[in-house]
Amino acid sequence: MSFFGFDTSRPGHNEGSGRDSRKKTSSNAKRAENPVDFEETYRGLGDYENEEDDYLNDETFGNATELGADFDFGYGKNEAEAGGHIDQQTVNRSYASAAASAGPGVMNTGYHAGPAHAMDDGMDFTPMESLWTNQPAIMSHQQHHQLQQHQALSMEELERQQHQQMQQHGYANMPPPAHMGYGYPPQAYLPPNVNSAGYQNIPQGMPQGLPQGMPQGMPQGMPQGLPQGMPQGIPQGMPVPMPMPLPMAGPPQQYQQSHVAMQQQHPPASAPQQPPQMPEVSSGTPQSPEVGQQHAASPSQLVAGKPPAAGNAASAQVLRSAHPAPIPRTQILTPDQDLREGTPRGSRRGSMRKPQEPLSQDEFRRLQVRQAKVDKILRHSGVMTPRDKDFITRYQLSQIVTDDPYNEDFYFQVYKIIQRGGIVSESNKGLIARAYLEHSGHRLGGRYKRADVALQRMQSQVEKAVTVAKERPQKNRENLDGAKEGVLGKISSARNSKAPRRQLQIPLQRDDDDDVTSSAIEDVVQTLNGVELSASSKARRRSSYAFRSVDQRAVLSRSGGRKFVLSLIEDVYAEVLELEAQLRSGKETDSSHLWESLHISDDAYEVSPFISILSFDKGVKIMPRIFNFLDKDQKLKLLYCFFSELSHLNIIVTSSYKTNSDPTDSQLKKLELFQSVFLKIIVSFLSSSAEFLEVLGLLLALVKNNNVSFISTSKIGLNLITVLISRAALIKQDVSRGNVLSSVEASSWNEIYDKLFTALETKLAVVFPPDEYTAKVVDTSSTGTVTSATVGQSNKHQFYDQSYIWQFLASLALSGKLNHQRVIIDEIREEIFGTINRAEQLMSTVPVEEQQIALYQRDKLYQDLNLFLNVMGLVARDGEISELK
Amino acid sequence: MDTPLDLLKLNLDEKVFVKLRGAREMTGTLQAFDSHCNIVLSNATETIYELVEGELKSNTKGSEMVFVRGDSVTLITTPAE
Repeated sequence: MSFFGFDTSRPGHNEGSGRDSRKKTSSNAKRAENPVDFEETYRGLGDYENEEDDYLNDETFGNATELGADFDFGYGKNEAEAGGHIDQQTVNRSYASAAASAGPGVMNTGYHAGPAHAMDDGMDFTPMESLWTNQPAIMSHQQHHQLQQHQALSMEELERQQHQQMQQHGYANMPPPAHMGYGYPPQAYLPPNVNSAGYQNIPQGMPQGLPQGMPQGMPQGMPQGLPQGMPQGIPQGMPVPMPMPLPMAGPPQQYQQSHVAMQQQHPPASAPQQPPQMPEVSSGTPQSPEVGQQHAASPSQLVAGKPPAAGNAASAQVLRSAHPAPIPRTQILTPDQDLREGTPRGSRRGSMRKPQEPLSQDEFRRLQVRQAKVDKILRHSGVMTPRDKDFITRYQLSQIVTDDPYNEDFYFQVYKIIQRGGIVSESNKGLIARAYLEHSGHRLGGRYKRADVALQRMQSQVEKAVTVAKERPQKNRENLDGAKEGVLGKISSARNSKAPRRQLQIPLQRDDDDDVTSSAIEDVVQTLNGVELSASSKARRRSSYAFRSVDQRAVLSRSGGRKFVLSLIEDVYAEVLELEAQLRSGKETDSSHLWESLHISDDAYEVSPFISILSFDKGVKIMPRIFNFLDKDQKLKLLYCFFSELSHLNIIVTSSYKTNSDPTDSQLKKLELFQSVFLKIIVSFLSSSAEFLEVLGLLLALVKNNNVSFISTSKIGLNLITVLISRAALIKQDVSRGNVLSSVEASSWNEIYDKLFTALETKLAVVFPPDEYTAKVVDTSSTGTVTSATVGQSNKHQFYDQSYIWQFLASLALSGKLNHQRVIIDEIREEIFGTINRAEQLMSTVPVEEQQIALYQRDKLYQDLNLFLNVMGLVARDGEISELK
Repeated sequence: MDTPLDLLKLNLDEKVFVKLRGAREMTGTLQAFDSHCNIVLSNATETIYELVEGELKSNTKGSEMVFVRGDSVTLITTPAE
């Protein structure tokens, strides 16, 4: 019975019904004594008291003495009443008990119920032995207690009433089970059934029918859940066999007679049935209902015996109709139901259920349940003092911030000691304490000879804890809608102060445009931000990740979304048009609105919207007109923003062979557009109005906030770097300007140049795109009109223009010192000789009629190469590198 | 700022995909439009679908600049990449 998880020990459940029934049950009990020969009923199954798991019975069902002690399911009422009910409890405990009770109860209507139970048991036995093996033992117990029976009866009465309510529902179900049952004609079982039927028919009918109904209605809510499902299925199938035995058995016949007699009582029976909700049936009334039940049951049984079970109901009805009392069909069915479902359910329920008190009790009971729950929750509250909690918190905290999570994990240490020594004595504590001290490092550094003093370590731990605590809210703010923290808990493995705990973050999709990779990257970036990297490294990391999100949409979404950026562009156009109108009409122009609409210093987005504006052609095209209205300060700010977030610039991403190895024609056109429009603006601004320090500032912004080596893989990026350093170099060398560089300027220039060079060092060779890429660009561009490659005399002779690379290298070398130049040459030596080779091969491989073209290309190659070589006083000519004279 | 045509305005100078009556589609750069959904596309490609003996066939023709009368426009969207 434990399988069902009820507390069969609960005494009270019958009580509600018990009260009414007590009187009658007492009377019934006497009668019941006769029928309750279980050994006969169960073919001696009840004999084995101890089966394999029977030793659990006490635990499962509770000992009479201990009842109510541990198995408190919140029905406290019973306990109060429990005193006298111990016996009852045992009675009610099990399904079997219910069955048993039903058996004895047969006195009135018995036949149906009796056989049904017997059959059920028998049938069930085979498929679900485990369920039923326990029963016999229990049953024997039950036999001893007559009280049990009484209670069961009372319960059953309740059940019956409820059942009647349920009848209509049950009705629909009836036919199928009957058929099922037919399928099995369990011969072996039949005999016992018959016996039981004979037995019980008379007495049982009553109790079963009535009581079963009751429990169903009430209990279904809480307790039934699991238990019902299992038992029901089995019993339902069972009923079929029942009818079969009946005809064979002699007793049934008797029954019929009685049943006829009973029928007269029918009318009264129907009356009690109708008020099904009323749990309490007056002691007097139950009898009559029982009788009614009997009638219903008996006809069905009798008739059913011959035809299939399905026929039962119909036959019963027929019988009924014959009888004076017009009982609705549902009523007739009730008995059947009771037999099949009702009994098992009822009994089970009964066991689970405490008191079937009047409905008013319901609320009370609910209250009690709640109280029980609360008690459970509070059971261990207050066991730890605040100090204890504090203590534990400290250990956990120290684990978070420690350098050495294993050795400082108190729990781990204790565990180790326990594992190692298996000590269970008093010395345990001392050992544990000592071991912990050894590991956690006391003044002498502990076993691991840690140099740091405990105090110091403590301080640093606190410090770390504080920073961790500080960072947390920040992170929350940043991730507000971007990530749910702790959705999957925290990852706690392998962390220390250098790699503090990360949080597993599930990126939510913010936007339809958003793509998963990019938001994941974002989250990584944000997480890193939370760890307080220095601003520069933060930005660098961001940009280094950025190139992975080649997808322009990702960048767009990080600056407010495509629609937002497009609307910004419209705003900008509107502003510019307005300003131009004002200019034409000779009014003063105020660019503040325009400036705002550019959102250049808008921190609300990770990527400045201005950068995203530049990823649209129309955004690029409007730039010259914007620049007309900006003052120098604004231009500088704009450019500063531009260079700072260069990595996010769409054009950089699409023009880098690393992120876009297969450029399309339209992309190349964009590149061209950008070069011819925006680059031109920058160059003109730098050369006309930028001071040396301002140029340096822009260069610094570029170097500091971006992954320079990535930017250098794109043509535009390389162009921009070239522009900056060559401008700086020019200003520096421009003696004619008359302003000698201050030492501050000079040193800052050196510093910035060093930074730039360090970022590029060892990666200089990557500025040369691979041959496949150049070939593709040439291919693609040959189909278009404007291309980024140099167009030869015919399409066939287009080749990739590398001049921008050599320009870059030249300007880099120009500003560098000798050792810088040496590094540059070292790294790109291959490229230098490769270019020379290519130039030489052009002449030899090309047919004579195309000599002209080849010659041009060769000259171009040399020209570009020499741009760089000349800086260092070298020159390449005719396959040779010589000193420039 | 949020009437349908306002949103369409955002796509000026952007590639758009236009569906037309008579099983025609066009892709091109949106140059201009008006309240009748008359639109001007540049670098436009028109695709005409027809059912020939149960088979769907399509013809395309390109035009550098084209005016599309609004009464035939059924749908404008951004083209799938």
